[in-house]
Amino acid sequence: MKLFISIILLLFLIPEILFAQLERQRTVVDQPVELTFMAPRNINLLTVEPLSKGELHYSIMHTFGEVTGGARNLWGVDQGANVRFSFEYGFGDNFSVGFGRSSMDKVYDFNARIALLRQKRDGSMPVSVSLAPSVGIITSSFGFLDEDYSFSDRLNFTLAAPIARKFSDDFSLMIVPTVVHFNRVGAELNIADPNVNTYYSVGVGGRYKFAARTALTFQYIPPITDADNLDANIGIGIDIETGGHVFQMFFTTSRALNESYLIAGENGDFFDREFRFGFNINRLFRIR
Amino acid sequence: MKVLKLLLLFSLIILFRPDATTAQKFMAEEGYVEFVSRAPLLEFKGTSNNLTGLIDLDENLIDFYVDLNTLETGIRRRDRDMRSTYLKTDQFPFAEFTGELLTGFDKENPQEQQVKTRGMFTIHGVEREIEVEGTLELREGGLKLNASFTVLLEDHNIDRPRVLFYELADEQIVNISILLEPVAN
Repeated sequence: MKLFISIILLLFLIPEILFAQLERQRTVVDQPVELTFMAPRNINLLTVEPLSKGELHYSIMHTFGEVTGGARNLWGVDQGANVRFSFEYGFGDNFSVGFGRSSMDKVYDFNARIALLRQKRDGSMPVSVSLAPSVGIITSSFGFLDEDYSFSDRLNFTLAAPIARKFSDDFSLMIVPTVVHFNRVGAELNIADPNVNTYYSVGVGGRYKFAARTALTFQYIPPITDADNLDANIGIGIDIETGGHVFQMFFTTSRALNESYLIAGENGDFFDREFRFGFNINRLFRIR
Repeated sequence: MKVLKLLLLFSLIILFRPDATTAQKFMAEEGYVEFVSRAPLLEFKGTSNNLTGLIDLDENLIDFYVDLNTLETGIRRRDRDMRSTYLKTDQFPFAEFTGELLTGFDKENPQEQQVKTRGMFTIHGVEREIEVEGTLELREGGLKLNASFTVLLEDHNIDRPRVLFYELADEQIVNISILLEPVAN
């Protein structure tokens, strides 16, 4: 009986609680932080920016020769480009699979990205964390070697785990621990040390939006592996979002465009003008 | 005895439950709203079924809002851009309208009636006075409202991409459709 009385009282009282004007209540309360970065890559480093289910991301990336080539070589453009094109498809909101092909050492890479944690607006989760494993297959011809590369020799494996935080609408920062293993190395590959198979790195990347759809970007990958000829990778650039495409233009010290070569490859001395121009074009399609 | 109590309860509920013909106040939380953008190369709309509204005929108050995080355009990346870059829903989660009926509404008339309202429309934290025309119809389930008006993004300091692609129109056509249920005064 008490329950009935309570119900009846509630039925009468609830409408009376209404204010003259409606109280504003959010329908979506646990929306994760979005657009920490404008694209799945920030210059060359993978970001935590996931694809949604049914989204297909296409990108074409270039790096040219070093600008020290001067005007005669159009600051490196005449020296030919390393080109990587890639497709990545979102099978779920937190899981995507892709492949890419880079012209340097003719590498095909197959990769996945898993968004493990998403930064929350209410602060209950301060960072976004992704896991990005990939397998690369080097398809250059090595017939000139005494011992040709077997299929297994041609493989390299990478695991990157970008950890990012969007500090404000304008400023985002990430660190990207990465480990890369080449099954076989040698002077024939475009890597820093022909005697080291496994490389480790902790890269740092960030972006600062100085206009609604334009951001300054940077990356810094210090050489922490004990290997010869391994130098810091430095990149600075600009992202332009045009309502459909994201254009990323940058200067970087490395030709590399995939994770394995970015971590294990050679770098010029940024402060001695040994950097090169590069750009990425990103386009997102909806397949479903 | 239990049956009697139950009967008493239900009679009370039925007796005092507000109905459309006597109620003065109508509310709903699942109305439909769409923002239609017609740019030269692209037409798309953002839609939500979370329009919350109140019409109080006694107080002559019309009050609507929608959480802009519920707007969907069919392309999730565009939704994220819309929330993060244009509407800044972190800071300004709601689009809202609060105003009054300028024309009378005859509750005895079961036909659809043209009505005119004036009030403040707020989006992106910028308030503008607007007049909205629509129709109101008293039905068995409540009060049905359909209305349409235009909003200029520029009026509300909403920046949009126009350097390379005119993909978002400045003029947004806002259509709403909602069945407000009677609530007790």
